[in-house]
Amino acid sequence: MAAHALIVEPFETLAFMRAALVACLALALSNGAVGTLLVLRRMSLDGDVLGHAVMPGAAVGFLYAGPSPTWLSVGGLASGLAVAALAGIITSGRARHDAGLVGFYLVALSLGVILVAWRGSNVDVMHVLFGTVLAIDQQALLQIAGVSSLIVLGIAALYRPLAVGAFDPAFLRAVGARAPYGAVFLVLVVLDLVANFQAFGTLLAVGPMLLPAAAARCWGLGVAASMALATGFGLTASVGGLLVSYHGNLPSGPAIVLAAGLLFAISAVITGSLRRLAPMIARDV
Amino acid sequence: MEADGRVRLRDITVRYGRRVALEAVSGEFVAGSLTAVVGANGAGKSTLLAAIAGVVPLAAGVVDCPARQLAYLPQLAAIDRGYPLTVSELIMLGGWREFGPFRSPGTAARARTVAAADMVGLAGRLRRSIGEISVGELQRALFARLILQNAAVILLDEPFAAVDAQTISVLLDQIIRWHQEGRTVIAVLHDLDLVRARFPSTMVLARRCVAWGATEVALPAMVA
Repeated sequence: MAAHALIVEPFETLAFMRAALVACLALALSNGAVGTLLVLRRMSLDGDVLGHAVMPGAAVGFLYAGPSPTWLSVGGLASGLAVAALAGIITSGRARHDAGLVGFYLVALSLGVILVAWRGSNVDVMHVLFGTVLAIDQQALLQIAGVSSLIVLGIAALYRPLAVGAFDPAFLRAVGARAPYGAVFLVLVVLDLVANFQAFGTLLAVGPMLLPAAAARCWGLGVAASMALATGFGLTASVGGLLVSYHGNLPSGPAIVLAAGLLFAISAVITGSLRRLAPMIARDV
Repeated sequence: MEADGRVRLRDITVRYGRRVALEAVSGEFVAGSLTAVVGANGAGKSTLLAAIAGVVPLAAGVVDCPARQLAYLPQLAAIDRGYPLTVSELIMLGGWREFGPFRSPGTAARARTVAAADMVGLAGRLRRSIGEISVGELQRALFARLILQNAAVILLDEPFAAVDAQTISVLLDQIIRWHQEGRTVIAVLHDLDLVRARFPSTMVLARRCVAWGATEVALPAMVA
């Protein structure tokens, strides 16, 4: 029964562990889909920047209402969308502007920290930076589940244009699919980041989104299969990270992100060596 | 082809920021014509096709053509070959106008995919991913996608760049077939001997339209 004590008991006995688990499972569903498209569009850096763009708005929400999950989300969503629009305008029609994107990230992060520290304590600052996955209440849980359901439904409805637009946007425009799918996708990314922000904070929000997707991408599957595998990796990392953090008395958000990073490393090493070995085996046979 | 494949340009101008890529180009590609677009690097050839396809915005002027009757082949470099897509899925996208963004491609689209792959010599490659095939095979697959699009106007941006000789001959045959079917074909090309031998009309661009008409009349403007 050692396995039971190790794996099941923490969730059986502690309500906050159960809430954290359910939140992470809901997030894994939307993260698998959004993260896969983000990686395929080669927009990982944009995702990271938008993750921090949530910060100043969340901080304003915090100043207004204290650590209320609703106001943190509303503020975060507003500033995330504002920065996405601004970055879209500034970089439109030009070559990628990495310095500009990173500039946004630094300014947004610093502004957010200053705003929170102005009225709050160091603990509050730590919460917005790294999240509070073990302190998710029912209201926050409902919000996370609602937002990630919305995202999954949105991607299911717009799957083909989003997938095609990722590799041949000119084709999409030439066949007359002129809806701004790129902008719609950015909105979905910001929504997902806001949902992740509650659990993982501004510094780690993009981690559970990108790392499982990057790990799944290693295996060279099709788009839909990559999304499913990324979701599976996300679930595994959530359960593993939560258990490690519980037994080792470690911070849980970083533990989950580390577990996802470990899955990425394992995937990269295995698929990399398979690729190198395959021609040798073929030669021997 | 029953649809009207005429493309009329009226003073079209395209700018990238402050740089003028194409200035006040006017004229008409007659329905069923086969035209080569030639010019030096940076002359606005690709921009012209993208403008007709509606992929880049016009700063001024009007493109008058049957918008829903148009198929566009971008330069190969614009395609992300790391993307997880099979040759068959890529070709089938050509049926987009039938199944749109939401419906599933029917059996008819699947049958046409196999037939189009056959025509460009890709029959055995349908299940490969686009990252595994050669550049020439990718261009063949993109041609098969154009076949499925069944458009009255076909725009080809450097269809023979970085492609082996055997593939060029297969693709050229397909272009001639489109021409015989009465479709309007406009192709950006660099090989002037090829233009002289196979393309009845030529447009010479140098940001403005320098010459446009029968190849034997227009092409000398390029060589000069």
